[in-house]
This record gives sequence, structure tokens and C-alpha cells, in this order.
Amino acid sequence: MKNKIVLMCLFLLQLGQGVAQNRFPKPDFESGYKYPEIHYAVSHEDLLVIVDIFLLVLLMGIVSWAVIKKRTRKPIIWVSVISVAYFGFFRHGCVCSIGSIQNIALALVDSTYVLPLSVLLFFILPVLFAFLFGRVFCAGVCPFGALQELVHIKSYKLPRTLSIILGMIPWIYLIFALLYAITRTSFIICHFDPFVGFFRLGGDIGMILFGAVLLILALFVGRPFCRFMCPYGALLSLFSSVSIWKIRLTDKSCINCELCHNACPVDAIRPPYTNKVNESRERGVKRLLNYFVLLPLMILCGAFLMRLVSNELSRSNKDVRLYEMVMQHETNPGEVLSVELEAFYGQGGVINELAEKAEKVQSDYNFYATIAGILIGLVIGITLIELSVKRTRKLYEIDHAACVGCARCFSYCPQYKIGNESGNTSL
Amino acid sequence: MEQKIENKNENKNSPIARRKFLRVLGTAVAGGSILAISGGLISRAKGSEVSHYWQIDPQKCTQCGRCETECVLQVSAVKCIHANKVCGYCDLCGGYYRSNVKELNTAAENLMCPTGAIQRKFVEDPYFEYSIDESLCNGCGKCVKGCSSFGNGSLYLQIKRDLCKDCNECAIATACPSNAITRVSLDKPYKLKDE
Repeated sequence: MKNKIVLMCLFLLQLGQGVAQNRFPKPDFESGYKYPEIHYAVSHEDLLVIVDIFLLVLLMGIVSWAVIKKRTRKPIIWVSVISVAYFGFFRHGCVCSIGSIQNIALALVDSTYVLPLSVLLFFILPVLFAFLFGRVFCAGVCPFGALQELVHIKSYKLPRTLSIILGMIPWIYLIFALLYAITRTSFIICHFDPFVGFFRLGGDIGMILFGAVLLILALFVGRPFCRFMCPYGALLSLFSSVSIWKIRLTDKSCINCELCHNACPVDAIRPPYTNKVNESRERGVKRLLNYFVLLPLMILCGAFLMRLVSNELSRSNKDVRLYEMVMQHETNPGEVLSVELEAFYGQGGVINELAEKAEKVQSDYNFYATIAGILIGLVIGITLIELSVKRTRKLYEIDHAACVGCARCFSYCPQYKIGNESGNTSL
Repeated sequence: MEQKIENKNENKNSPIARRKFLRVLGTAVAGGSILAISGGLISRAKGSEVSHYWQIDPQKCTQCGRCETECVLQVSAVKCIHANKVCGYCDLCGGYYRSNVKELNTAAENLMCPTGAIQRKFVEDPYFEYSIDESLCNGCGKCVKGCSSFGNGSLYLQIKRDLCKDCNECAIATACPSNAITRVSLDKPYKLKDE
């Protein structure tokens, strides 16, 4: 009987759904019942953040010391193991420096965005170390680089043209990541993270498969992710190419033996090259200048194309999508409400406000996509110039932008060995 | 001899000197940009206690069910939480029983929770105490929907701090239709209903 009354009450209440929250009064217990005390578990996040930063600096310091001063590989292997274990499997790879680009970009354009100090440090410290010592972060402190480093067994060289063309991908990826981050659409670097699934032992199956393919590739090709995907690596390469202290193989003169070139997994040691086409210096300079005249054309093309598709791109933004759904519903109200629309109408959303928001996002997209197009044009143009300009080199030279400081080459250099054994290593 | 070449190079503004100049220029630009970015942002950067953990605003949540499926973890970090102080301790609980039950017993076809994570204990007539077995809960929010449409809304979904990986961008937050998921500070880690 009582149940029936309650059931009836429920039916009545169902009509007034969403109005009342305290439909049933607090029970007066007669048996002296006490409310259970429930405590929810909290992890020691604040402490761990400090450990993260400390370890980041410590490991980068160790790698810098190993590649610049000591020129040995062993510490880097240990750093890699620690990094994969701690930043990877223990901390599950979040927040990582690669992803922090997006937070920084968003904080730069949006003053309301709250930027945690730890994220800023995760972004700026590796950049600073790259500026001082080269890409020591990539060497083994980054868990992604470390993971690929640890599985790498044999270096097969890719054709130079192919690796230059594939080398455009990180830049374009970076540009799109920035575009999507500053329009508050999504953090695509985090979304398409191939290795985080391994560290978390589960995740999006597509990304895990992609990560597995990358890891299998990494067995034979040095660091495919770092070279041909990583947007942060692209950024660091800018700083490492002008770094203050640079990695040097040996203090003695190079004997052009090519051993270091063969040992380098990321193809950062450029072999000697004699330009077969014997063009005069003036003509060469002229040719280069012509290319630079073509560069603005590429930039214009890029800007134009990206502006054309900017409205399409803005569809990936949540507000724009919602606005389109609402408009569709308004013109054709008979259909079943989707989850988004239910939430929108349920919260008493105002269409005009939403329209304003969507318009703002779209104009943002118009503007930033044009800039992205300029940058994409620049990247493609510079890559083409790089492909066509060949510089004469007499000796093997380290390309500091590409060098990730894995330190494999040191033990191969015969000149370095001689110097080391006779005990007169000097910096 | 070498000196001579060097002199010659310098006079002609040779590529070596130019490259060196470019390198110094690059170094200066790089150093300057590091200083500019860190200087510009460090004043705005807040300690980690500000805006850290992802939490659901229970008032905004519409129980769409995406918390169960969108989390990057295999079993979502979102769990149902029960606010005892809000609960009416009803026998006929909208979160415990399905809406069209014929008999009030614990047969699976009568229960709302697909995993049997909601347990209840008899307190005194006619009150029952409800609790959630977190290891069984998958964050689908079916009980929450039942409770908030028929009852006091004491059952609600929340992101468990010990389970959440604290992703840079919460996958559920991007999928949430009501924008109910935002970051909260470390010192007040949970958005609870019974506080």
C-alpha cells in the first residue's frame, strides 16, 4: 500500500521534473542512525608536481653534462630508463612538454586562461636547455624520445630528400595545433598522442596501433616520431641550431672516416659534399635570391587557401557545431533532440548568445587560419629552398637542429678514442 | 697564410663572416624570445594549486552518459557519488529501481544500475541507506538520471581524483554537451553536493 502511494507521488513528481531537488524531506531516524562519514581519496598532486620539475631539470642537467662535457652515452641510457619509468609509466605522460605548447599559446592570446606554473616550466625549461646545450630534452628526458631510443637497434638511413619532405610534417602539425589551441577548439597534440596509450596501458585503440607502428619503425629508423611528427622537437630545433654550447664529436681534426655518420640514428651528421654543378658564386646567390622572391608567392597561396577553408575548419569547434545544430533544429523542429540540444535547451540557452559566440569563433578562425596559411606557405617554401640549395662541405658536420644528443656517435669516432685513451680530453 | 685568408674574407664580407653574423643574430633572437615568453607569462602563471583537477559541476550535468564512454581510461574515472545528507532514504528509490518495476526486490531486471554497483542496507522502517561500490561503477549515470528526476538528486557523477589522470585536456570535458566539466583548485579538490 505504502509503495503504491510512493509510486503515485513519483508520477506526480515526474511531471514537475527538474523543478524540485529536495522532493523528499530528510528522514528522522529513530534508531539513532548516523550519517556515514565519507572521505574521497586525494592524490598528492602538489608534491608530485615539484618532483616532476626537479626531475626534469636534474635529468636535463645530466644529459647536458654527458653530451657536452663528458661525451659519453651511458648516462643517457639511464636517463632514458628513468624518464620512461617516471614520466611515462608512473606519471602517465601528462602534462608533457609537447602538449604544453598549446597551453602556452592559449595563454598568450587569451588572458582569462589560467596557466599553471608547472605547465609554463615544462614548456620553457627544455627550450632554455635547448638554447644553452642543444636538444638535451629530446635525448632521453622526454619519455617519447626515450622510449624510441631504448628500442632502437639498427639505423637504416632514409633518403635525404624523403627525410626533408617528411620533416615538414612537424611544422605543419605545430601550426595546426596552435590554430586549434588558440581558438579553444581542442588540443590536438594531446588527442593524437601515439604513446600515451602504452604508458596508461590502455586507451584509444587507433592511437595505440599507430604508436605500435611507430615503435616497430623505431627499431630500424631512428626516432620516427621525434623527426617526422613531434611539434615540440621542431620548436626545439630552432633553438638548438643557435645554441650557445654545441655538441662536438672530437677536439681533434676530423679524418673523414664516416663512422659517426653511419652511427647517427637521426641523420644529423652531414657527409662532405662537393657541388658538381660548377656555378659561380654570383650566379648561386642570384638563384637563391630568386627562390626568396618566390617565397612570398607561396605564402600568399597558403594564406589564401587556409582562409578559404577557415569556415570548414571552424566546424570542429564545439560552439560552432552546436550553433549549426540549433539552427537546423529551429528550421526543422520535428526531429528527436540530440544530447547536445537537450543540454542546450535544458539549461535555457539563448540562441542569440550562442550565435554571437559562434560568430566570434568563426572570425577568430578567419584571422588565425590566414596566419596559419602564411606559416604553412613559409614552411613549404623554405623546405623547397632547402631541397634545391646544396652547400659544399669538406668535412663531416653535425646539423645541430637535427641532432637529438643521443650520443651514439662519440664511441665511433676514432679521433675521439685516441684523445680519450691518452687522457687529454679537454673542452 | 691563414691570417691572410681571414683578412681577405673579412674584407669581402665572405660567407663565413656572414654566417657567423647570422648565427649570433639567431642566438640573440632565440634568447630574446625565451626571455620575452617567460617574462610575459610568469606574472600570469599561477601556482599549481589554482585550477588543477577536472571536476563535474553536478548542477550542470545532464547525465548524457558520455562520461562512461569518453574518458581515456578503459573504465572511466567518473564515478557515481552519493550524498547521504541529501538522500531521502526512500524504499522506492528512483536511482535504485527502474521506473517500471513490478516488484521491489533485488532481481537484476528491477535494478537501475547495469553493474549492480548500488547497494542498500535496511536502516529502519521505511528507510534504506544507499551506497556505491566504486569498483563496479562505470560512470554511466543511469542512476543519477533516475535519482535527479524522481528523487532528491543525492546521487551524482563526479571525477574521482585518485583515478583521474589529469589530462591536459579532459576528453570528457570536450565531449560534454553541457560544459559541466571545469578545473578546480587543489585545495578544494571535489565539487560535492553535501557540503
